[in-house]
Amino acid sequence: MAFDRRNLKILANFCEAAADAMAFTLMRTAHSAFVKETEDFSCQIVTRDGLAFANPRHFGAPWYSGIDYQPLIAMFDHYEEGDIGLTNDPYSGFVATHTPDLHVWKPVFHEGEIACFVVGHIHNTDVGGAVPASLSRALTEIEQEGLRIPPVKLVSAGRLDPFVAEMIRTNVRMPEQNLGDLQAQIASLAIGERKIGEIIRRFGFADFLEGVEAILDYAEAQARRILSTIPDGDYFFADFADEDAPGGRPSRIALTLRIRGDEVELDYTGSDPQLASSLNMPTGGRERHPLVMVGLTYVLFTLDNSLLLNAGTLRPARAVLPEGSVVNCTRPAAVGMRSLTCAMTQIVTVGAFAKALPDLIPAASPGGNAIMNIKTAGRNGRPVMASIGPVGGGGGGTPFGDGGDGAGGATGFLRNTPIEISEAEVPIRFLRYGLEPDTGAPGRHRGGLSAVMEFEIAAPDTVVTARNRNRSILAGWGVAGGEAGCVSHFVRNPGRPDAVELGNTDVVRCGPGDVVRVVGPGAGGWGDPFERPAERVLADVRRGAVSAESARRDYGVVLRDGAVDDAATLALRAGRPVRPARDFAFGAERDAFEAVWTEERFALLTDFLAAAPVDWRYFLKQRVFDRVDAGTDRAASVADEMAAIFASLNAQFRW
Amino acid sequence: MACRIGVDVGGSFTDFAVLDDADGRLASLKVFSRPDRPGEELIAALARLGERDGIDPQAVERFTHGTTVGINTVIQRNGARLALFTTRGFEDVLEIGRLKIPQIHNLYSVRPTPLIPRDRVFGIGERTLATGEVLQAPEAADVAAAVAAALAAGAEAIVLAFLNAYRNPANERAVAALIAGLAPDLPVIGSAETWPIIREYERTVTAAISGYVRPRVAHYLDRFEATLRGAGVAGPILITKSNGGVMGLDQARAECVQMVLSGTASGVIGAGWLARESGFDRVLSLDIGGTSADVAVILDGEAQYGVGERVGDFQVHIPSVSVSSVGQGGGSIARVDDFGVLQVGPDSAGSTPGPACYGRGGTRPTISDAMAAANLIGHRALGFGAVSVDHEAARQAIAPLAAALDLSIEAVAGRIVEVSVSGMFAEVSGLVSRFAIDPREFHLFAFGGAGPMLACFLARELDMKGVVVPPSPGVVSALGGLIADVKNDFIRTVYREADAATVAALDRDMRALTAEARDWLARQGFSGPGEIGLSADMRYAGQSYEIETRLDPAWLAAGDDGALRDAFHAEHARVYGHADPSASVQIVNLRLVIVGRTPKPRLARLSAADGPAVPRATVTAFFDGRATPTALYDRAALQAGHRFAGPAVIDQDDTTTVVPPGFQVAVDGLGNLLITRSEG
Repeated sequence: MAFDRRNLKILANFCEAAADAMAFTLMRTAHSAFVKETEDFSCQIVTRDGLAFANPRHFGAPWYSGIDYQPLIAMFDHYEEGDIGLTNDPYSGFVATHTPDLHVWKPVFHEGEIACFVVGHIHNTDVGGAVPASLSRALTEIEQEGLRIPPVKLVSAGRLDPFVAEMIRTNVRMPEQNLGDLQAQIASLAIGERKIGEIIRRFGFADFLEGVEAILDYAEAQARRILSTIPDGDYFFADFADEDAPGGRPSRIALTLRIRGDEVELDYTGSDPQLASSLNMPTGGRERHPLVMVGLTYVLFTLDNSLLLNAGTLRPARAVLPEGSVVNCTRPAAVGMRSLTCAMTQIVTVGAFAKALPDLIPAASPGGNAIMNIKTAGRNGRPVMASIGPVGGGGGGTPFGDGGDGAGGATGFLRNTPIEISEAEVPIRFLRYGLEPDTGAPGRHRGGLSAVMEFEIAAPDTVVTARNRNRSILAGWGVAGGEAGCVSHFVRNPGRPDAVELGNTDVVRCGPGDVVRVVGPGAGGWGDPFERPAERVLADVRRGAVSAESARRDYGVVLRDGAVDDAATLALRAGRPVRPARDFAFGAERDAFEAVWTEERFALLTDFLAAAPVDWRYFLKQRVFDRVDAGTDRAASVADEMAAIFASLNAQFRW
Repeated sequence: MACRIGVDVGGSFTDFAVLDDADGRLASLKVFSRPDRPGEELIAALARLGERDGIDPQAVERFTHGTTVGINTVIQRNGARLALFTTRGFEDVLEIGRLKIPQIHNLYSVRPTPLIPRDRVFGIGERTLATGEVLQAPEAADVAAAVAAALAAGAEAIVLAFLNAYRNPANERAVAALIAGLAPDLPVIGSAETWPIIREYERTVTAAISGYVRPRVAHYLDRFEATLRGAGVAGPILITKSNGGVMGLDQARAECVQMVLSGTASGVIGAGWLARESGFDRVLSLDIGGTSADVAVILDGEAQYGVGERVGDFQVHIPSVSVSSVGQGGGSIARVDDFGVLQVGPDSAGSTPGPACYGRGGTRPTISDAMAAANLIGHRALGFGAVSVDHEAARQAIAPLAAALDLSIEAVAGRIVEVSVSGMFAEVSGLVSRFAIDPREFHLFAFGGAGPMLACFLARELDMKGVVVPPSPGVVSALGGLIADVKNDFIRTVYREADAATVAALDRDMRALTAEARDWLARQGFSGPGEIGLSADMRYAGQSYEIETRLDPAWLAAGDDGALRDAFHAEHARVYGHADPSASVQIVNLRLVIVGRTPKPRLARLSAADGPAVPRATVTAFFDGRATPTALYDRAALQAGHRFAGPAVIDQDDTTTVVPPGFQVAVDGLGNLLITRSEG
């Protein structure tokens, strides 16, 4: 008997309940703050072919709702009841995407036949390697990023392999946390397995299998309907991470979004080559890899909040991911900080959709959400390590309102660590935590304010890490007449003679008395700030979000004695010089950069690098930038100049 | 005759539970609420109790009330105009909260607007360290400037929430004293005094809620007291607390946060006591009304507690009876979406216009309409004759869905129930995982207007032991207040490793808390030492959430830190399935609860059956869309020992119990319906 689609909501509710139960169990039993405070984990139920059809509704990282476990499932020819597979290796199936993510999968059997798999991952705080917490932008090879566990049966027919646990214990800095979290993952899988068993008993095996397909089909139909409301066309958008390596050059993420009817193609051709830092994304070129689909998922859900999120949602989409590029790196490229680049893919996706749907899509949140960690000596002299929370920008201004303060848009899923918890666990003293005035980019709807954190170190040999730092050179953009954001800051000893601006550094050593200050990058505005109602500007000034100077300069609002001076405001707003009409504001730094590095120049560079072997590309990118900077090859046209540079490099190096 | 009275004022009805002190008998009374003239219903009911039962208001020894005025103030956002003083540099605590946005996939999503706007938040130059050491004491001039600014901004009260005040409230107290000198009439709410827990946002928002609801709560309580005194009630007036206990009016006015969840807690306490008296030690209470469906976990008659219970857009972080919303109730609207899939909710017809079958202007099909179209409700007027059900209107509302789905109206009705129950199932399933319980060991204790209507369907999905429907489902909340004990919670944040040195400090803390608790109990007019419960929030070092572990005071007195850790390992193993005896253990909080037990009623026994239960009629009803001859019973005619098989419908003035095929009903000596799956 065919599954009656009219019962779909009932089956979907039951399956989501099973995924919820997995997440609750993980939250309850995990040991690490990454699970409980930050919620950096996932739980799914996937088809026999690996496609996610049920996700928890309230918890977990939002990137993996459409994940495909097929490559991991295929690692073993045979499964028995009670097996659990484990891997964290980014180059074994491209499901794990950096070493801290330990992925597990377990078959659910019904009368000897596999019904589905229950799966999930936890971001482990540390898996060994060159630096504490295993992640730094500066790492250059996967081998430096800690323990790599190739796909292995952690549990075979119910028997735990003690060697795997021992291997983890031997290779990491805080083994109790990893092993405690692994226990929690096993418990979570067991709950999921049991719940699915109950569902199969209720619906019957055949109906369950067909019903699961119907759930995927339903999400696909919803996604197609949303896509069909978007005008057909090619929408190109590019953005840059500040640096392709510590102190390096801008790293470009380029996207051509092709909308055709109810389908979409995300072509990342034109993005940077594979880098000699850990910003690479290990996607294996898989056309629906979750890391390159995050932005799409956000946009579709924003357009229709009833959208069911699962692998079916992504069926109308495919990505083009050139091999040897930053969005599809090859071994041995380091991948630890792929989250920074992933944030850029989200930003360019939102940007491309803003071209297609200017009345609906907000400015993107700026990315560069610094994950702050500290390793120092405790009050008893023993070393302590703690995550003291994310410090990032706000949400971008939207067509309907201001962006969220402190967090919003695509980066709004993280929770912070309470100051009192950090102070109780680590001997540092906070001087400030809150929202920094004048950091939300002006707009009719302004960007959300950035978070600011400032604290004083008490012990020598303290290491502060600020992973994901970005946007200290190139700002986040504004849209529909809104302004670009301000840049982020990371300063040691602000306002003192020994002040150091640390830029995008992600590891800094400190001593007693040192003060560290972090301010997230500004989120872009939406719409012309001179059209923002003066009363709303006044309200922002009253609450300290916007200064009186900014009100006058950026919004054309004049305040006098705590009230709007209507006449002066009218005059100031009327007297503004005519602005060139443009859809996006990128900020002065990026404008200057792109005056040289035009789309045309990048297109030529992309073709040149694509023809070179993967292991030469990053090197050659640097040499081309050197030559352009030096300006010694200037010619009648950009094409001629680049041709001259390429010819010269071809003559100098042999690859 | 001396008696105690509990009262629950709902949107439509006001319920009274009356306990005769002399013989422990329980009586109940229901009158119409008068939202237009609050208080009238109390006077009317007291008059009626005088006529009917000969109760003299002078003889009421205790009058207990659970109310939703606190939570409604937060939901409707019509509370006090507050100012907040924080540690300078941390003024954005309410704005930034815990950072996470409500809908993580939605690019438009932002956190809810705080109860205190940022322009009424003022930083004070002061600092206490995590150790409790005061690094910087507040200065009078600084505080005076902030008070002047707060008053200029129209503040009606001031909330104080300084960093690390959970550890040492000296600076909050010093600033409160300064404010008292400057503006003696300005209420001040200190965060540590409200509830001294670690985590600055959670403590601040809890204090803010307490201050926010205060004027409306005080006004409500004043009027309530005046009404009762005017009617001649002379005995103490008590209010149900969020923690399931009761407190005097003075504490209720001073510590408003303690009664924010007063109304919901009353229902759970009543359900828990009735369940235990009836011999059910593990139940999930299910309270479904027109606009809400709530579930709570009850073990051995005790409601389970949580911190972080939801109050409007926020969470309140005091020990509260844990109640989870599992749906929108009988008014949830069904529709067929563009892909031909039947959906129920989130839109609700609420009580206005209400379900189509109520004939009050509603036209969209609701869960109640599905029950009516299946001919499962409405065989007599609902709500004590307030509503007569229009079955044809229900069918007409569902007809468009039937056309869209190509099913009969009755079949769609069955599926609406199934979809809504599967949604509740999903929510209860999460709750079950959070509390680590197995629903197969539990009974579902159903009350509220629509609880008994849907309970069997939900219990079937959860594979529960059975459903219990008490004799008067409408009076459960009023009864909860009546039987609640006098109860208060005390806490000290410790935040230390569970070693020998800590145990000595804990012993001192315990003695101090015990003295404080006994003093509190005496001030509530309770004679006797009360019962003391001791526990600690503990965790493995590195974990970020604590488990509450019961402690034996003797361990502290004996300095036995090993016993402390063993108790935690055992609790960890019970909740999580594993423990790590070699890992170091932290104590975050020491908790103490004091309980003064109050007399409990003796439930009336139903007369034994003198023959089989006789249906009033047999009607054709529809289960899962199939026409089924269904026996219709009058609840009032059922007697102890009656047994009959489903399908059946049992109606009474304030609810309808639906028994699907495959279930059987037994009436116990107290008049409860015990509904279980038939054998085989």
